[in-house]
Amino acid sequence: MSTDHRLKRRAVIKGLVGLGVATAGTTDAAPLRFLKPLAIDNPLAAYPNRSWERVYRNIFNADSSYVFLCAPNDTHNCLLRAYVKNGVVARIGPTYGYGKAEDLAGNRSSARWDPRICQKGLALVRRIYGDRRVKSPMVRTGFKQWADAGFPRDPKTGAVDQKYMQRGRDTWQRVGWDEAFALSAKAMDNIARTYSGKKGAEFLEAQGYDHSMVEACEGSGMQTLKLRGGMAFLGATRIFGLYRFANMMALADAAIRNVKPDDAIGARGWDSYSWHTDLPPGHPMVTGAQTNDFDLFSVEHSKLCLVWGMNWITTKMPDSHWLTEARLKGTKTVAITVEYSATASKCDEVIVIRPGTDPAFALGLAQVIISKKKYDEAWVSANTDLPFLVRMDTLQPLRPEEVVKGYTAPKLENLDLIAKGQKPPPVTQQKKQVAAEAMAADFKGQVVWNAAKKALTPITRDEMGKTFVKTGVKPDLRYRGSVTLVSGETVEVRTQFDLLAEYLDANLTPEQTEKVTGAPAAAVIALAEDIAKNPEKTIIPVGMGPNQFFNADLKDRAIFLVAALTRNLGFPGGNVGSYAGNYRTAIFGGMPSYVVEDPFNPTTDANAKPKVKKYLHYESLHYFNYGDRPLRQGNTLFTGKGHLPAPTKAMWLNNSNSVIGNVKWHYDVVNNTLPRIEFIAFSDWWWTGSCEYADVVFACDSWAEFKHPDMTASCTNPFVQMYPKGQIKRVFDTKSDMEIIAGVSKALGTLYKDERFAKMWKFVDDDNVEAYLQRIIDDTPGLKGYRVEVLLQKAMQGVPMLVNNRTYPRISSYEQAKGEQPWHTKTGRVEFYRPEQDFLDAGENLVVYREPVDSTVYEPNVIVARPHPAIRPRTPESYGLSRDDQSVEVRQVRNVLKSTDELLASKHPLTSKDYRYIYHTPKYRHGAHTTPVDTDFTGVLFGPFGDVYRRDKRLPSVTEAYVDINPLDAKELGLEDGDYVYIDADPSDRPYRNWKPGTEAYKVARLLLRVRYYPGTPRRITRTWHNMYGASFGSVKGAETRPDGLAKNPLTNYQAMYRSGSHQSATRAWLRPTLMTETLVHKDIFGQVLMKGFAPDIHCPVGAPREAFVKFTKAEEGGLSGRGLWRPAALGLRPTYEREGMKQYLVGGFTKIG
Amino acid sequence: MSNVKNWQLKRDMQYAYDEARPKKQWAIVFDLNKCIACQTCTLACKTTWTSGKGQEYMFWNNVETKPFGSYPLGWDVNVLEKLGKQEWAKNGTYQGKTIFEAAPPEERAVHFAPTDDDWMYPNHGEDDCVGAQNTGGHVGSLPHDKWFFYLPRTCAHCTYPACLAACPRKAIYKREEDGIVLIDQSRCKGYGECVRACPYKKSMYNPYTRVSEKCVGCYPAVEQGIQPQCVVNCIGKIRVMGFINPPWKARKDNPVDYLVHTKQIALPYYPQLGLEPNIYYIPPIHADRAYLRQMFGPMVDQAVDRYRTLAKDPTTAGLLTLIGSTDRILHRFTVNNGVAAGFDERDAELVKVPVVEPVIERPAWDEKLETIRTNTP
Repeated sequence: MSTDHRLKRRAVIKGLVGLGVATAGTTDAAPLRFLKPLAIDNPLAAYPNRSWERVYRNIFNADSSYVFLCAPNDTHNCLLRAYVKNGVVARIGPTYGYGKAEDLAGNRSSARWDPRICQKGLALVRRIYGDRRVKSPMVRTGFKQWADAGFPRDPKTGAVDQKYMQRGRDTWQRVGWDEAFALSAKAMDNIARTYSGKKGAEFLEAQGYDHSMVEACEGSGMQTLKLRGGMAFLGATRIFGLYRFANMMALADAAIRNVKPDDAIGARGWDSYSWHTDLPPGHPMVTGAQTNDFDLFSVEHSKLCLVWGMNWITTKMPDSHWLTEARLKGTKTVAITVEYSATASKCDEVIVIRPGTDPAFALGLAQVIISKKKYDEAWVSANTDLPFLVRMDTLQPLRPEEVVKGYTAPKLENLDLIAKGQKPPPVTQQKKQVAAEAMAADFKGQVVWNAAKKALTPITRDEMGKTFVKTGVKPDLRYRGSVTLVSGETVEVRTQFDLLAEYLDANLTPEQTEKVTGAPAAAVIALAEDIAKNPEKTIIPVGMGPNQFFNADLKDRAIFLVAALTRNLGFPGGNVGSYAGNYRTAIFGGMPSYVVEDPFNPTTDANAKPKVKKYLHYESLHYFNYGDRPLRQGNTLFTGKGHLPAPTKAMWLNNSNSVIGNVKWHYDVVNNTLPRIEFIAFSDWWWTGSCEYADVVFACDSWAEFKHPDMTASCTNPFVQMYPKGQIKRVFDTKSDMEIIAGVSKALGTLYKDERFAKMWKFVDDDNVEAYLQRIIDDTPGLKGYRVEVLLQKAMQGVPMLVNNRTYPRISSYEQAKGEQPWHTKTGRVEFYRPEQDFLDAGENLVVYREPVDSTVYEPNVIVARPHPAIRPRTPESYGLSRDDQSVEVRQVRNVLKSTDELLASKHPLTSKDYRYIYHTPKYRHGAHTTPVDTDFTGVLFGPFGDVYRRDKRLPSVTEAYVDINPLDAKELGLEDGDYVYIDADPSDRPYRNWKPGTEAYKVARLLLRVRYYPGTPRRITRTWHNMYGASFGSVKGAETRPDGLAKNPLTNYQAMYRSGSHQSATRAWLRPTLMTETLVHKDIFGQVLMKGFAPDIHCPVGAPREAFVKFTKAEEGGLSGRGLWRPAALGLRPTYEREGMKQYLVGGFTKIG
Repeated sequence: MSNVKNWQLKRDMQYAYDEARPKKQWAIVFDLNKCIACQTCTLACKTTWTSGKGQEYMFWNNVETKPFGSYPLGWDVNVLEKLGKQEWAKNGTYQGKTIFEAAPPEERAVHFAPTDDDWMYPNHGEDDCVGAQNTGGHVGSLPHDKWFFYLPRTCAHCTYPACLAACPRKAIYKREEDGIVLIDQSRCKGYGECVRACPYKKSMYNPYTRVSEKCVGCYPAVEQGIQPQCVVNCIGKIRVMGFINPPWKARKDNPVDYLVHTKQIALPYYPQLGLEPNIYYIPPIHADRAYLRQMFGPMVDQAVDRYRTLAKDPTTAGLLTLIGSTDRILHRFTVNNGVAAGFDERDAELVKVPVVEPVIERPAWDEKLETIRTNTP
């Protein structure tokens, strides 16, 4: 109803009121005599007509309610209560059950945990019934044609005609479940067969795959099939199910290649945590463990909390109250950030640094702590490798046998070495760390200079923590000297501490740190002193900001250095943590009994222990993202043998949109990598950007409709969470993930005439998935003793249970700080020196600072260092590369030293008038990754451009993507607040390699979005949130052809939030040499076993997706219909557009006190 | 016009009807230092009440970033511009005009009339700070020199509602039992006077049903002793809903009375407008004082100082960690020896929490279950 109409009415009513008539009728000439006028004297005091109030009571009342688990990759896992009316979930709410969770001993978490929910969980009512639900199994027409034609191939290369591969531009067909299963099984079989044996290898070579990758297949085409349960920890049975499936495929491999079980190989499993670039890759380098962290409520016990590159209040929302409550009770909060962020507004102090300079900032703090002697010498001596001596000739640790004649190392007490073929004890029995005997040399002792006795003294791995203190040895941390070896040679030795101190003093004094990071020198000094004043009480939660840069591992090593120097590692209130997604599968130590159950001998007795045998191989997804190739530059293959990927010819994922829809370098993957893949399947309940490019999409139950239970836990909270079964009928023709995996397996079983394929999923058929869960629980230290029925019963009441970790909260390094266990490293201590050849070659044996690899105005990826005797990296020339080659590819392996001043005088190779902006893409409050970000109710609040009525028909949906830019930068570029702008990153390979202007693919890929004036970001630093759904061929077509103009694929309903492109138009894959070593010693995923080299989610590439250096080009004006200013700016309400009243308002000028 | 007492202004003022305070008055206190703008409250309200036709644009509860955000566009700068600069005495007496007192003769209140377009962009200004940022920004102390904060807003169920005063049909009323202000959905004719009059813009017109609607204080829940949806769903745990007494009847063991009257750290918003609103805010300690005084009145500095010294105030600190721990309405609270507890109207204990969540250590080896216990599994 228009305002005008109401104004006319108003005049009439006023007139009537003026006449003293209590208007109880319509404005039509209704017969007033038929209506009884109401007498209302004072509506403040009393009101006679209240029976209508039942309307809202009726709306509020529900017929029933039930509990389900909401668990995207945010780490929280919230039990939610669904309120049902007429069989429909009408609304959702929290369970208020977290204050009732108990452990095996009857300890309880308090009601301070409640409520657990978020706006995205509430909006699930829009998703469960939304029009982007995958409503039945769907098959892409081109794929079906290829399958129906019998999978024809080029006889020379084995490749498939591209006419069948028009993903993103094709039509879709609804098929029955059996057909979907059969198609998938046949395709997998055909692909594995095609690429097996000598002929298969020839095909792969002919198709241009790197020879090393072809070799990695070991003659098995099954290696070209990749499976991924997205962040599998979120679903112990249903998401991990795809890894169990991969292991099971050894049966198919044996059948195809006609080999015995011992020679069979399963399919390949892709990583999760490291794939998301969530893994802080330096953690294993320092502590030996996957990640050092703590349940976030540990902040209760700290006095100083450094929220470092972590937008806590937008990404860990249900745990934000712990931070704000600690603050009000006296904890000082400091944000180390790249802009005045949401979390900055909750901190007492805010230090803004240049993005990607976190290692420098941390090293700058360390420099102050060391030079002012504020470090805890006793703690450092007992718990770190810093006192150990390094030979300056080899840069290797000095060894006891080199200086003590006839030295025999004592048997280690804190480590069990087991012989080849011997199995370690079950995870629940691993009271000690375990390693293969073959690794014995990795645990040799080291040597210190004992100042108390003025002598070189061997220190064994056992001698750490309180055991070391008992020895009475007092290492001289700054020792330098000449040592005569047993061999007769004389070598110079220096402590690691001394080498590090020299590096810091030369390159990262407070003044230098200020120049590099932008943080004022005084702030660096003050913060360092503050940390040193708060031993055991400085807690450092680190986020994904700094982790998504190429130098992420250096950032970890540097932050641990600060914590170790000041005795802030392993204490309830003093620790280092890294926070991203929900990776900590290790909490379910019993997973192997499910994932690698021996498919040749499946155990279908629910009460019997399954046999285990690992047939699947894992690999990092980053090679796929990088173009399905390893890192080969110049004359060197940088990807270690254990890391080598196989070519990707088939893939099946569940619970994932990050591998295609929101993959970094998305348009390169779509245009250059997908065409070589022959089978792409996704299991999902929502039509994502990944589904847009699939061949088969299996329709899953939503969380509210689960027909089988499942289980998850968390790295940020202490609860084990069950997924109770849903209490509503399925809304669409969907199946549970387990049924889907079972269905494909059975179709394979029919193909191979092998009943074991079906047996592997028997409990699914029996509706007894609980049996798998109980197996996992029984072998898990933190859960052993629980019955799955009890856990499920509680979950149905909205009450979780506690994981029985060593402590509540769970605190990494707790046992180590107590001296009960060593760290999972070679030395048993936290390590800052990496003597392995890969690190020496990279110039990173010491903790140094490297510039970001793309997000910098300076020369990318240089090592910031004056010449230093221990920094001796391999030069570009030694790799057969030119020193001046700063191209994107070569940059990844380029080892060039520049002093701080030289750095500041250098320039990014793309620097020109146009390319000079850093563009980064962190995560935000309105999505959990891309789940459930395109929902209308949450989307309309995502940023400033939401309009549910879409008055500006250019809006791709009810909301749209935007870039936050400093107003002065925008004005310089001639951009108004609300205008549309193109953002272009390095044209050599973005938005994708070999892009051509004027093509449809380029039109879809070029990033177009709104400008938002954002005063909180510094000059030259621009940002878009990572979460929004990017443009696809179909969404662009939708915007062009739909009458409503929505960027919504008319064929699939895929709803983009960009008119074209995506934030991923600016990103790409990066492979870092120090993350692909064969030599890093670290803990395996489960249990206390130490291993070496590649391990998915622990030691492998992580990608660096925040990095881009870009230019801006104005596209269209922001006002409605593309003319003039965006309305809030036109109204004078926006920064730099303020009208007079707004200016007065901003300074509180409408009020005068006294 | 009648003479009524407005304790927030420390004086009498003019209003359309005689003073009539309800038996109990619904009130919410928000600790803005804890608000994270997660919008969970917004969605709780929307999915419960405003997901129908004609309600698409409505957010009875919204959260906006201040100073640049506003829903509808410019609502507060607009009404302040209309009212003009006004003054408080240092002793807290309001010396300026309220919107009622400043109203032109044919109007009930000074007001700004929103157009349909003003309801677009409900979250514009999200996280926009005042002041430009240079590289090397360092905010070393409080208050911050560049800042923003979050302001969640429901209807304030005012003691002297402008909507109620403006309705020509007297179709808006205040419930005697709890002070919740409602638009009678059966008698409203959609004139929109309430939409124009409410300075907070919490009355909204539904173009499909053609009547106006507003926050109902979740009375169906409140009648059952449960807090409103926006409170129950607040994961920032910033809110406590209760029944506030006027200062002359305040009970210091009642959470809302305690925060508003006893501790005086929770302040009404834009009290100068004269509605005696019943939502109260603990001001954000990092924001500009002058801006805060414009929004919350002259008591801001005292409130901020008291919040900053909570480490030495275990009762208040305890209460602020207790709130949000139960979905039921607290009538009384206690904080003793590090334990905070809340009670219902019959004094039954509803919830008890430790002010500091304890650390529990389990043995490294569980003899009975024969398993290790580890923090690095």
